[in-house]
Amino acid sequence: MTLESILMTLPYITVVVLFSLGLFTVLFKKNLIKIIMGIALMQNGANLFLVSLAYRRGDYAPIFTSAESTDMVMPTAHALTLTSIVIGVATTALLLSFVIMIKKHYGSINTDDVRRCKE
Amino acid sequence: MSFDIMLHTPTFALAVPLLFAFLTILLSKFSKKVGDVTFLLGLLLTGYFVFLMSYRIFTDGGWVYTFGAEEPITLNFFRITFIADGFAALATITIAITAIAAGIYSFGYLQKKMPSDKFYTLFLLTLGGVNGMVLTGDLFNLFVWFEVTSVASCALIAYENHRGRSVEAALKYMVLSVVGGLIVLFSIGLLYGQYGVLNYALLSGNISRIFLDKLALGLLLVIFAMKASSVPMHMWAPDAYGEAPGPATPFIAITSLGSLFVLFRLLFGVFGVGMDTAAVGAVLVILGVLSMFVGVTMALVQDDLKRLIAYLSVSQVGYMTMAVGVGLATLNTVEYQNFGELAMKGGFFHMINDGVYKALLFLSAVTVVHKTDLRSLNDLGGLAHKMPYTTVFFLVGAVSIAGIPPMSGFSSKLLIYRSVYLYNPILAVIALVVSIITFAIMGKVFFNAFLGPDQGLTDGEVSKLMLSGMAILTAMVIVFTLFPGLVVSELVTPAIEALSEGVIP
Amino acid sequence: MIELVLEDIWSPIVFILVILLTTLVAYLLYKMGNPVYNRTKHKGEPFISGNRPPKDIRKIHVAGDNLFWGFTDALKNYFEPLVKSHTGKLNDYLYWVVITLAVVLVYIYMAV
Repeated sequence: MTLESILMTLPYITVVVLFSLGLFTVLFKKNLIKIIMGIALMQNGANLFLVSLAYRRGDYAPIFTSAESTDMVMPTAHALTLTSIVIGVATTALLLSFVIMIKKHYGSINTDDVRRCKE
Repeated sequence: MSFDIMLHTPTFALAVPLLFAFLTILLSKFSKKVGDVTFLLGLLLTGYFVFLMSYRIFTDGGWVYTFGAEEPITLNFFRITFIADGFAALATITIAITAIAAGIYSFGYLQKKMPSDKFYTLFLLTLGGVNGMVLTGDLFNLFVWFEVTSVASCALIAYENHRGRSVEAALKYMVLSVVGGLIVLFSIGLLYGQYGVLNYALLSGNISRIFLDKLALGLLLVIFAMKASSVPMHMWAPDAYGEAPGPATPFIAITSLGSLFVLFRLLFGVFGVGMDTAAVGAVLVILGVLSMFVGVTMALVQDDLKRLIAYLSVSQVGYMTMAVGVGLATLNTVEYQNFGELAMKGGFFHMINDGVYKALLFLSAVTVVHKTDLRSLNDLGGLAHKMPYTTVFFLVGAVSIAGIPPMSGFSSKLLIYRSVYLYNPILAVIALVVSIITFAIMGKVFFNAFLGPDQGLTDGEVSKLMLSGMAILTAMVIVFTLFPGLVVSELVTPAIEALSEGVIP
Repeated sequence: MIELVLEDIWSPIVFILVILLTTLVAYLLYKMGNPVYNRTKHKGEPFISGNRPPKDIRKIHVAGDNLFWGFTDALKNYFEPLVKSHTGKLNDYLYWVVITLAVVLVYIYMAV
């Protein structure tokens, strides 16, 4: 339980905390905007997980211009994270536009009221 | 260097819908007819490339198509691959048949009711996304097409945004899809962090029974089963199918069928080699039995026509899951020759049957709702007097889904009954009971909506374009009815052989 | 030669031929009977044992909700909780996904 081992696993602990906070918000909150905020938290947790997977001890960031040495982190995971961020933007935009239209039709954005399609 | 078009057909099966999605909305600014023609051209070209790809697969064998190079692994770069084998051929053929029929139907439907250019774009985007999902051989590419499909199909469900219920159904499906997509991304990250590769073939050589791989397997299994509307995660399905605009309803069914195809590809190809397939097969069997039973009993108490057929669709997905679960559970044992392979044949034959007759049922239900503006079974009645063609099409679909001989539904269900009985007799009994209740429900719907005295709800038949869309699907059902042995030996058996051997490296 | 038999179990062509033969026999028997229905005189009216149909024709058609009432009422202990658990709230949809994830993960951890 040295300080170094705690520091090395700190990103993963953050990922678990972010993901579970997001999941808690989506499961237990009734306001639709809060549910979308919880989804955004989960997206951030998943992106942080992908970036922190790529780290190798002692390697530098994968930028060639004025690099200290050529021992670099493999940038595949960073590319996956960029794709995921863009997908997150698109889905959040679509979800928010759905919530605006539901407010216009139903008059409230509480999940107890937005359930005309039931059983 | 000659351009071998047969080699590049997987790309075209994906790129043509995407290109024509945006070309349609651009060209329909000139006139509506140009937009219609572009949409039809896009659909037919996609069908043509799918046909070419399947022809090459069935005559020469499958291949792995690498984007941008000859081999998937050069130096230490792993490129994105598409796997074109018998399984991909079966999946894309099913998707293409339903897409062309629904597309032709949508010409007649969208004449007056809604602006149609954006509908065509969303339709073609969904088609491209589902084709990408079933063809891909790379895990992160799967995530990308998964999200494209969910965004495009949710936008398609909410198309009629003057009704609040459509937007509500789209929101619920979207939240579930996005949360599911994040869990899938998490498990892809787990696998990538362990092994450093994202390719199906390389992963299948490396996966073993450590804790993180079991975690990834569980997460992927449940989320793709959720997308395929299996119980108990099925509650989005009646909302989404019931509130989608007319011709898009069979298309939402196609996205759930595509997710089922992807689930089987992952379970057999990536996880099947290293994991204990008996336990994973047991999970699939239990999910399948739950889906069959809950789906059909909820359909018994429905009175909305489209929601009823949606619950029946959930029940049919249970049949496929159970049959392929039995096949997976007996995969490398001696029982595979006895009944496991027969169960797989039944399951896959049921998938292609179900894709066709479910689309037919949804399209005829949409025709009824469109013509009479009534959705509830309490108000409908006596439609067979004025709409004879729709009645015949609905009857063909209803007899097929109920598993009555001689229709194609009976052929695939017979294979399932015979093989699943040897695994565990209770499963065959449950499957038979569910089939009988499905027949009762179809009898109720047919009696209620079509038979009886003429109540003056409709003044005539719908337009020829809508009828021809349904006629294509009826013709496919009749072809599958008359030649089931041919379909099983030509289409289904190569798919099963491609799956049970693992992924071509 | 096209395969006409599915896995040596079932041949739909034979079945369809038998059905056509039976339909032919049934039609011949029907033709030997006494026709009561006259298309111009009766004009698509239903036959209710010889009584006159009521003015509002919808009264004799059984509505969709009532067709399986006996079945659903007898099994009320099963149907009531089932229909009630389909609440329609977004949070409940996600509860089911999380619960299924938990159960499946525990099973896969112990059994695979």
